[in-house]
Amino acid sequence: MANYYNIDDILAEEEFVPVVFHKAANGVIIDPSSETNSVEQGAKVELPLWLAQDLYLRQAISISVPACFNQRTRLEIQADAACVDLKSRSPYFYEFGCKIAPLVGDKTIEILLLSAFKIRYKEILTKAYTAAYTTASKFLTLLTKEESNLYEAAQVSMSAFKKWRMGGPRLQRASVLGRKRRSFE
Amino acid sequence: MAGQSDPHISLFSAEELEFMAEDELIEIVPNMRMDPLNFICVIFKSGDFGPFFPQIASQVPLWLAVALKKRGKCAIRPPQWMSVENLTRVLEGERESQGAFQVLPFHYVEISRLLFDHAREDIPDMYMVRSLIEDIRDVRIHKVETSLEKFSGTSAVKIPNLSAMEVNIIRPFVGRALQAFYKHDNPEKIPDVDRASSAQTRAANNEPRVSATEEITDRFHF
Repeated sequence: MANYYNIDDILAEEEFVPVVFHKAANGVIIDPSSETNSVEQGAKVELPLWLAQDLYLRQAISISVPACFNQRTRLEIQADAACVDLKSRSPYFYEFGCKIAPLVGDKTIEILLLSAFKIRYKEILTKAYTAAYTTASKFLTLLTKEESNLYEAAQVSMSAFKKWRMGGPRLQRASVLGRKRRSFE
Repeated sequence: MAGQSDPHISLFSAEELEFMAEDELIEIVPNMRMDPLNFICVIFKSGDFGPFFPQIASQVPLWLAVALKKRGKCAIRPPQWMSVENLTRVLEGERESQGAFQVLPFHYVEISRLLFDHAREDIPDMYMVRSLIEDIRDVRIHKVETSLEKFSGTSAVKIPNLSAMEVNIIRPFVGRALQAFYKHDNPEKIPDVDRASSAQTRAANNEPRVSATEEITDRFHF
């Protein structure tokens, strides 16, 4: 738990990872499909990251690379990172990747994340400042949470500037001024 | 920074920048006689302005100039850089050099907007000047975007001669983007797996990480 109060950080740890149990566990309903309340040794189960992390530390399980970092995704990212639908793979693709990389001991995940972000960053930049909302809306569905935050930050500051440039009422009335005065008996 | 309206989206709103720009000095030609004004002032050496005599030019802050102008007490002299010749030269310079930005006052966007709103009859060739400034601003914003495209990793960002408004527009985006780059650029800084044993070393590792990020984003605040 890098950041206890960050909702995105918490949600990123909710992503499922495939694990293999080294030890049998009794009295737990980890695997909803199993008939008994136990997990056998060697069972393959999908667990949320926060649980897998702790079990991994106790050497009860081994973690394999989740589906969103499989070979197919990597090839797609290499081909054209800007067009890959990362949101459907995981809305917290980058955060999840950063957390899972040390657990599975895969250095290539970090390289993948950085190269994907470098290319997608440029795309977000051009879309955020220049493109109209209608053309960008299709592109927005492909973005992960972090990327759409980035997009919105750019969009909001640009539209605030445009609004100021267009003018409008220079003086705004304080909300208390509009009220009717209460009469005291 | 007690005045910021929304700390999460942007450090300042455009209206707040306009407010700050109103402290810039500008020359007015009053048409009335008035005793000196003594303000409490932290920006300039002294807050004393005036005395004012008819047809004798005097330096005052922009907000005072606008207030006097609204009452018909003075004419505002547009600053040197707002002449058609200078702006044409600046626009050409902006178009010619891709990387560098021309020297303009830090608050040129706000000052020009205030003068166009309140002192249009004092600016010679007002429509020409206005369209020139709009062109310059558009070219510059486009150039800022292209220079942001060159980011690929965490390096110190240096874009000299950027104006207040331009910095303000890109600040939220650039801050976030640099932070993301920093996160992915330093995989070795990601905390170790066995946290129980290395909790202390991790805390030590985290310290420089945070401050370094701030340093990078800070360079953008000038």
